[in-house]
Amino acid sequence: MKNRLAELRAAQGFTQGALAEALGVSRQSVNAIETGRYDPSLPLAFRIARLFGEPIEEIFIDETPRPSPSRARSNTNRRS
Amino acid sequence: MPDVPRPAVTYREANRRYLRAFVPVMIVYVALCFAGVLLLDRLSAPPLSAPPLWLRTLVALASAAPIGLVFVLLWRYLAETDEYTRVRKTTELAAAGMLTACFATAWGFLELYDVVPSLWTFLLGPAFASWLLLSLWRLVSERHRV
Repeated sequence: MKNRLAELRAAQGFTQGALAEALGVSRQSVNAIETGRYDPSLPLAFRIARLFGEPIEEIFIDETPRPSPSRARSNTNRRS
Repeated sequence: MPDVPRPAVTYREANRRYLRAFVPVMIVYVALCFAGVLLLDRLSAPPLSAPPLWLRTLVALASAAPIGLVFVLLWRYLAETDEYTRVRKTTELAAAGMLTACFATAWGFLELYDVVPSLWTFLLGPAFASWLLLSLWRLVSERHRV
């Protein structure tokens, strides 16, 4: 999952270490999240969002392809 | 930077707690290993006969106890550390455990068919620790890369 953590952190002028300290996690965690090697849990994602004052979906970008509206509609009809 | 609720035990605190307990336990382990050998040697020196079975059992179990305690500490560390470290450590422990089990099984069959000599099962602990050290080396090299 892509995210804007590095961008937001840089905009606030924080080092990875300072951000890690504020979140109570390791610097390696921050690095792994920023480089997309690790997707944080919901509680950590919420802490990050709260720290930067942004909604989660503005920080973490869901790249999963969504079904087209017509396909989604036909799936709904089939279920009902 | 605004304050956000932090975990009850932060990554730093978990590391500190683990090391603070791990170092004394390992010192006790080394001391017990040497003390056990010395005690049993002294008690079996002529004209004395071999030490009783209960004493040998007690010395053996007492020497192994700190290793059990290390795993308890490791379990606590996994519960307290941050989620990314937990995932990595758990993966490393699982890999080390699987490699040790594979090695023991392969060696067991080789031993069964008289290809290799009998292995001292005592060596499986250090083998497990070696696989863990290899993971640690990977961790350190990765840390220098980032």
